[in-house]
Amino acid sequence: MALDYFEVECAEKKGGTTYLEIASDILKDLNLLSIISRLHIYIDPEFPLFLAAGMIRKMPGSVKAGDFTNIMEKEGRIVIDIGDEVHLSNLLSKLWDKYGRENVDQPDRFTITLDPEGKSIREIEEMIVLDQAENVYKDIIYALQWIAPEGFRIRKEGFEGPFFYYIASENTIPPELADELIHEKTRIMKEGR
Amino acid sequence: MVLVPITYKGGVFKHDIIVDLIDDLGGYIVQKHMIAQEVILQSLVPKEDIDLIRKTGRPLGGEVIEAPLVGTEIAVVTPSLEIHHLPHTSCDAAEYLRRAGAKTNMIGLARGFGKRIANLNIEERDVINEHDCAVFLLGNFESCIRHKLPALRRGIKVPIILTGGPVTEDLKKLADPPVDGYVGGIGRIGHRMKKQEGEIEYLDKLVEEVSEVLDKKREEIAKDQLSISPARLMAVIDEELGISEISTHPTPITVQIAGLRVKIPYDEFAGMIKDIEIENDVKIGDIAELLPSRMRNYIWIRIKPFSETKIIV
Repeated sequence: MALDYFEVECAEKKGGTTYLEIASDILKDLNLLSIISRLHIYIDPEFPLFLAAGMIRKMPGSVKAGDFTNIMEKEGRIVIDIGDEVHLSNLLSKLWDKYGRENVDQPDRFTITLDPEGKSIREIEEMIVLDQAENVYKDIIYALQWIAPEGFRIRKEGFEGPFFYYIASENTIPPELADELIHEKTRIMKEGR
Repeated sequence: MVLVPITYKGGVFKHDIIVDLIDDLGGYIVQKHMIAQEVILQSLVPKEDIDLIRKTGRPLGGEVIEAPLVGTEIAVVTPSLEIHHLPHTSCDAAEYLRRAGAKTNMIGLARGFGKRIANLNIEERDVINEHDCAVFLLGNFESCIRHKLPALRRGIKVPIILTGGPVTEDLKKLADPPVDGYVGGIGRIGHRMKKQEGEIEYLDKLVEEVSEVLDKKREEIAKDQLSISPARLMAVIDEELGISEISTHPTPITVQIAGLRVKIPYDEFAGMIKDIEIENDVKIGDIAELLPSRMRNYIWIRIKPFSETKIIV
């Protein structure tokens, strides 16, 4: 286990150990082991309630257009040479939003050409194509939704700096109880070794 | 003549010899699978002739394996078809039962998840009741199983085999009134079952438990014998209508312990099947009830016992 701290707190011992296994399987499947550093899961099968509090190791940065393209001016037009097709569709939608669809030409799979008027190469290079932090947030919430028992539709989740929490149940959770539990389990997660 | 369930596995080359042999011996082929160069025959054959089949099959690279669940249809009931319950435990359990010869149908409940909110609707209840037995795959928490099991088993008349994360002894305490079988150690997991210890061994136990429960059911039925053996009725219907030749279903006619599921529309064909003569003026309608199945538009045939018909064919 690559996590610095990983615990499942549960009144039922057998259920707790299986959930520890389920959680590590799912985090491994979604490639989140290198992103999350600490995770504390609290399960109360009586209520029933599922709570996870954790911490992220490091947030991956954002991807700029200049990171995966080669941009130059050729024969009176700006030519963008695509190196990595993975981000192509994101880049295209950003360009369409900014300059209008009719002004962006794509003569072949790996080339985009623009009319240079009113644009600079530097400006396009600095364009943020993908904010990975947002994706990580979505991935973590998805993983926790998957780990939590099914049918827990009443839920609350949040991010504060490197810390995140996810609380879910099928019964209504009083807001004070939710806040108290989140606070307590986050403290345990921070202090635990 | 006692028919025992076996699986024959061998090469495609000259496998007709085995098919004809089983037919000549008075046995029945319940299901035939052709996978690339291999053929798998799930069949019911006379007990004393197993050695003959084994000997005949040997030069063709065939082997005969005992398959306790051939000729049964089992419902594998999972709380939902969401990523939480599928594919791992549910598919592993269903596939393992299939290897033992059973025809399994996976039933994902519409609202089977959760603790307080779990329930079973009427259609699901009726579909499950058309099977020989139902395997309930529940989760890892004792309090959850105790709370939701009564809601999920409401109205189910077929034997239930309960599986879940807790050990078998604990599961027995959770079901009130008791169900027919228990297998612990098969709860929700996040990976495929690969290890022999702690994973596959429980699936082996599941097959054992299911065959034990079904043996009891067979004994119960044997006290008042069926008017016709389901396998024979299958052969009669198939010969008359030739369903298995044109159907794309893996088992166009599914054999159950005391009935059949015929996968053709009820409205068009029920009357035709009723009038098929088995022998000496005995028609299928005389010895069996033809019911519309809750599963699509299929026909569900329930064979009547001797005490009702006073006929045995």
